[in-house]
Amino acid sequence: MYDAVFTERLDTPAVVLVNEGFGFDARSAASGKGMPGVRVVPETVPCECTVPDRISNGVRLVIDDLVAAMTTPLTDDERSPAPREAERTDGIVFRGDLGEVQQFAYRRGWTDGLPIIPPTEEAVREMLAGTDLPPDHLVGRMVPRLGRVTVAKIAVNAVMAGALPTYMPLLVAGVEALLDPRAQFGTWEVSTGSWAPFWIVSGPIREQLRVNGGTGALSPGDMANAAIGRAMGLIVKNLGGARKGLEDMGVLGNPGKYTMVVAENEEAIPEGWDPLHVQQGFARDESCLTVSFPNTYLQIWPYGSDDRGIIRAIGANMVPRWRQLTLLLPPGHAQALADGGWTKAEVASYLYEHARVPAHRTPEFWGTPGPMQRGRPPFNAEDSVALLRSPDALRIAVVGGPGTFMGLAYGSGGWVTRPVALPSRWESLVRRYRGLVPNHVRY
Amino acid sequence: MGGVYEVLSPWAEVDPVPLEGIRPRPPDLRGRRIGLFHNGKVAAAPILDAVETELRERFEGLTFARFGRRDNLEVAETADRGRYEQWVREVDAVVLAVGD
Repeated sequence: MYDAVFTERLDTPAVVLVNEGFGFDARSAASGKGMPGVRVVPETVPCECTVPDRISNGVRLVIDDLVAAMTTPLTDDERSPAPREAERTDGIVFRGDLGEVQQFAYRRGWTDGLPIIPPTEEAVREMLAGTDLPPDHLVGRMVPRLGRVTVAKIAVNAVMAGALPTYMPLLVAGVEALLDPRAQFGTWEVSTGSWAPFWIVSGPIREQLRVNGGTGALSPGDMANAAIGRAMGLIVKNLGGARKGLEDMGVLGNPGKYTMVVAENEEAIPEGWDPLHVQQGFARDESCLTVSFPNTYLQIWPYGSDDRGIIRAIGANMVPRWRQLTLLLPPGHAQALADGGWTKAEVASYLYEHARVPAHRTPEFWGTPGPMQRGRPPFNAEDSVALLRSPDALRIAVVGGPGTFMGLAYGSGGWVTRPVALPSRWESLVRRYRGLVPNHVRY
Repeated sequence: MGGVYEVLSPWAEVDPVPLEGIRPRPPDLRGRRIGLFHNGKVAAAPILDAVETELRERFEGLTFARFGRRDNLEVAETADRGRYEQWVREVDAVVLAVGD
């Protein structure tokens, strides 16, 4: 739809053919871009159909609608849309007990399905202690709705998610990362591919906030890992306006959209290896947040505990079709690779060169344009084809605890890293909240 | 369930920007040059093949121009922006197919 809006702005009429299941999404996208009247022709061709007869039949059924969309004179509203009614979202919007608040927020479509912490003025005020930015500071406008992402609204969503005020700097950095054009967030957040933002926290803030990068980093149980990702999910929904089944058209969805946050286990990074944020161009002692968009997470074990066994298992378990890969190495495997003389960059280069499959395992060989975007399709079925687009299509993060499993998070786009700006009273804030830890009983 | 909570809205405000209208349509497609745009999705280009076939049967003198992308990123945000702007200038209307 964005391309249709762009075309109309180039003073040329545009009409979009979309599957009928995407009509609402298409209109939201056009409206978000300020051009609600873009003409959409819903059709019944199955999504990503490869059957010529079904395509031609589907088009034939709507060709009169298409011609009408291309030639019918504009209505007054299409020519000059009525201004949007100003929507005030400040002030108290509901009063009720805890159960009534839950039901109100859920009915309004503001939650992720889980109960929320009521965002009262007092709770939001406390949340705002986590930043020096004024509440009305505009971090940016988030697609598809182009909602105004102010610091105050970030704080409201953070309260709802159960975040602590000390998470605010990361949430602001997270919004900045999503709004960075390199993240291509507008594509991944609503795509049928159900890409989930995967947040990797680096630098001193990991330890200050107790973001887990060790055992079970991706499992529930850590407040920071849970609430930071959850808050970002609510921000995307409530400030960006990307709602499941309306604008977010992920076919299957993704549990990672609840939360997918880890710290890199920097203390366990082998000597001579750089943490992810250093590879991304930041100083080692700088706190940073990196986002990427995987939709698949595969856990594998090595074919041996030495460097060869680890590399062979990674290469043999890589699969075609994805644009990028975040490799999550537990500390033991990272050390084994380092002991074998490997650096992160050498692992990536080696896998680019040697992780290959016969061409018939790639979509391009079968005439389907694949996300690898190869310039030319492979010629012979048995031609050897690389599984990485380039060495730069792989990043390694050392994550996890003792044990042998490692993770392959396959995604789209790249990795965008933002530095985290800390408020002036950061140390005292950290002291205030840092003692909040679970004390599990032994049994 | 305990006390009463007065809660704020998590929903964003949007700027009161003036909305834009769409461009006037040609009254008839005869003799027009139609741009056919497809993104990288597998059904998009074949859908446009079918559109071209159907329109040719209905209108005399139609000509077509294609613009295809190998991904579904917003064209204005890619290196193809300038090439797309030039292409749009050479057509009378654009049909976009996205394969979904």
